Amino acid sequence: MSLQSINRAERRNRRLMKLWAGVILVFLYLPIIAVFIASFSNLRFFVFPFQEWSIRWYRAVLSSLEIQQYLQNSLLVAGAVTIISVILAVFGALAFARYPWRGRGVYQRVLLLPIFFPQAVLGLAILMWLSWLGITPGWKTAVFAHLVWIVPIVTLIISIRIYGFDPSLEEAAYDLGASRRQVFLDVTLPLLWPGIFSGALFAFLLSWGNFPLSVYTSGVDQTVPEWMYSRMVAGYTPQVPALGALTVIVAIFLLFGAYALSRWWQRRQARNGNDQ
Amino acid sequence: MRAWLLSLRSRLSSMFPDPVAPDVSPPPLATRLWQRAPGPLLAMPVLVLLLVGFLAPLILVVTYSFMPPHTFSLTQAPTLDNYRNVFSSTYYVSFGWSVLLAALTTVLLLLVSWPIAYGLTRSFSKPMVLTLLLVLPLFISENVRLFGWVLTLSNHGVLDGTARALFDVELPMPLYNIPIVLFGMAFIFLPFMLFPMALGISMIPESCREAAYDLGATRLQVLREVEIPLAMPGIAIGSLLTFVLALGSISEAKLLGGQSIIMIAHEIETAFTYAQNWPLGAALATLLILLTAAMVIALLARLDMERLLGRGR
Amino acid sequence: MAPILELVDVHKMFGDFVALERINLEIHDGEFVTIVGPSGSGKTTLIRMLVGMDQPTTGNILLRGERINEIHANQRPTCMVFQSLALFPHRSVGENIEFPLKIRAVPKASRRARAMELLKQLHLPESFYHKGIHQCSGGERQRVALARALAFDPEILFFDEPLSALDYRLRKTLEKELKAIQRSTGKTFVYITHSIEEAMVMSDRIAILRSGRMVQVGTPDEIYHRPRDAFVAQFMGEINRFSVQKASDGTLTDTDTGVRYQAPTRVADADGTALMIRPEQIRLLPEGEHMDNVLSGVLTQSYSLGSRTQYQVSVDGRTVLVELLGRANAGVGDAVRIGWPADSAMLLKA
Repeated sequence: MSLQSINRAERRNRRLMKLWAGVILVFLYLPIIAVFIASFSNLRFFVFPFQEWSIRWYRAVLSSLEIQQYLQNSLLVAGAVTIISVILAVFGALAFARYPWRGRGVYQRVLLLPIFFPQAVLGLAILMWLSWLGITPGWKTAVFAHLVWIVPIVTLIISIRIYGFDPSLEEAAYDLGASRRQVFLDVTLPLLWPGIFSGALFAFLLSWGNFPLSVYTSGVDQTVPEWMYSRMVAGYTPQVPALGALTVIVAIFLLFGAYALSRWWQRRQARNGNDQ
Repeated sequence: MRAWLLSLRSRLSSMFPDPVAPDVSPPPLATRLWQRAPGPLLAMPVLVLLLVGFLAPLILVVTYSFMPPHTFSLTQAPTLDNYRNVFSSTYYVSFGWSVLLAALTTVLLLLVSWPIAYGLTRSFSKPMVLTLLLVLPLFISENVRLFGWVLTLSNHGVLDGTARALFDVELPMPLYNIPIVLFGMAFIFLPFMLFPMALGISMIPESCREAAYDLGATRLQVLREVEIPLAMPGIAIGSLLTFVLALGSISEAKLLGGQSIIMIAHEIETAFTYAQNWPLGAALATLLILLTAAMVIALLARLDMERLLGRGR
Repeated sequence: MAPILELVDVHKMFGDFVALERINLEIHDGEFVTIVGPSGSGKTTLIRMLVGMDQPTTGNILLRGERINEIHANQRPTCMVFQSLALFPHRSVGENIEFPLKIRAVPKASRRARAMELLKQLHLPESFYHKGIHQCSGGERQRVALARALAFDPEILFFDEPLSALDYRLRKTLEKELKAIQRSTGKTFVYITHSIEEAMVMSDRIAILRSGRMVQVGTPDEIYHRPRDAFVAQFMGEINRFSVQKASDGTLTDTDTGVRYQAPTRVADADGTALMIRPEQIRLLPEGEHMDNVLSGVLTQSYSLGSRTQYQVSVDGRTVLVELLGRANAGVGDAVRIGWPADSAMLLKA
């Protein structure tokens, strides 16, 4: 076996891996594209290829008061989940990754349990718990259920960021005479910022798309995924692909927008760094 | 007695050393707690959330599973009726299918994900864009994506319709059977295998691979002796995550599988909702929780979280 | 005798950048050769080609006369101790040592016997066999890595400065141990380092690399006493350097100060423009004593080096280093005269 043939094999493997990744991407996106295609049909039922393309179902979706209400509920839940989970997770992540303490090993593992748990079962369990406590399910309880699953995820994301920076930076700041508050605001928080940013993004998007927790815990305040599911199992509703496509667009916009923003921020940081 | 009291006092004061000089007024309680034990204090909100939102509901479910069938109160005398009911009826079929499909999904995804995870961490020149493309589906409601498959594969769907229009052939409809459920599960849970696996692969030190080659190992030997064992924490997490989530999945079987199989989570849902038999649903859920918990705890106890998430070594 | 390893005009480019320029080197069976160079000199590139993880752009690498340029690391009868040691963290000490034997499908029992032998040879207790890598100290890991490489039974053993992360004393011990092992096994060792001290202690021959070029190859003594140019002389340790111009009468004129120096009689490089004198060759002169070259200045600093003392003397605004056994009579701030015999200086190419 020669170096050249090894390099050749490496190159061939890389090409195969790329090809494979391409195939998987096609599989991941084919159904999403199908949803987009269906959303432009003119008909009440789905037959492909259809004669006429139209945006009538988008109009129907956007003008429906009912659907506006679901969108509002989804946004409300996702927004509340984002804000609360980021706040809890910043503290949780500092405990996870920054300070050594006696119960930390157990805490780190307990925190992961809700992630490693079937969501439908968790949703049902929370529903039972709510009814036992006598609480009527609504958007607030959906927020609560989402938090149980999302706070651990955001905590992990921010923790990874904390592991990435040198704790002596904080110590150096104390050493230079900064107060606890100053250290947190001027050193810790800016360093955590990228982690908080991606944590918030994950929180919002995961909550936005969640179905198995919402379906049992949101009560009368149905979210968009719930409504779409209820229509899907009831036969074909032409508004479903249109609304589904809209949620996909929101997700794409947020994810790639956030990526562009972070790239821009990095470049700016790098430029500032070079100036000095 | 006095001596004992004195020694007790000194022992107590050595346990709780007073950090402030006596003439300075002590700082507020929160500040003192923060200085002594920042960790537990910071963990508190999250732990309270998990206690109220995770542990308590699970305890409630387990408790309900010992109540007589069709009751809604917790004050009855405990009974094993529900478990007897579960084991004497055909729930084992749903359990079996769920476990089998979850296991197959895991194995399938192990094979599917490895080349991508490997390329993502080691050889692709622009991994970030691919990562984003692979993450995006996570944020789209799984129902929408599964519905997309229905639109793609159904009669006169995207694939069949295209084939009819272009080649005038009818494609068989591969929906509403068991293989399509497996396919749907693999499709939905791919990211849960892929990203932990990539994390594991990124932990393989380049020098260990080179050293193995240098000591005469072939490509296959490097894979078997060095790469897979060193990526194992990531592989294990990915597998467990996939298995557990697949075990509790409902939508794939409902939307793609028609009524060809009923997953255990579906049975639990039915018992809670249509059948209004909370104790039965609780018993089924308890069994599922036990199975999940046993595997998760066994794995988490072995993982070195610090190494996995950050500081290597 | 034919060399075991030969580099013929080995040239390596990364794009437009010349990493190594026409390297020629012969290494003989049983030799301990050290390739020394500052960081960025191309030594890592060189060793990666020697072990088979990269290949030269042009030129040849010959192992016992056979061209091995394109042979991959896993097909070469040589192996390397990595800078990071690259011990497999998921394997015990014993499994690490046995790894190359397992690769060759050597039966378990003889693998184990060989591992035990190597543990003994490297002064590690047998109980280490079952220890995890994370339980070993830095020095123990070095030994395990060496044992693993020896288990491979290579024709040539390469080292990519594996000792650099250790503290000074342990490093000194291991340097000598390494030399002893090389002697007792009779294997060819090729060692790469940035530390000339390390090279001096261990090597039969030293090759000095500077920005991709092999500047000088020779025994430690040769290199120390007869450096080929100013770079090598400076690399070998602190040295005073005056840039000079040769006059027609053979004397040297300092291009900065105009002072005249008497040239050494034996000159390595007739066109040399750097007059180099090691600090220990310069003396503080008592009143009245004369030497070939004398300068006057002010003593500005003194440092204790243990058995010796180093002084900084400011001469015409320039600092000259002087090193003495014991201490000088003069103190900081005193005016002093320093001098050296003409032949203790070296006239070298800049």
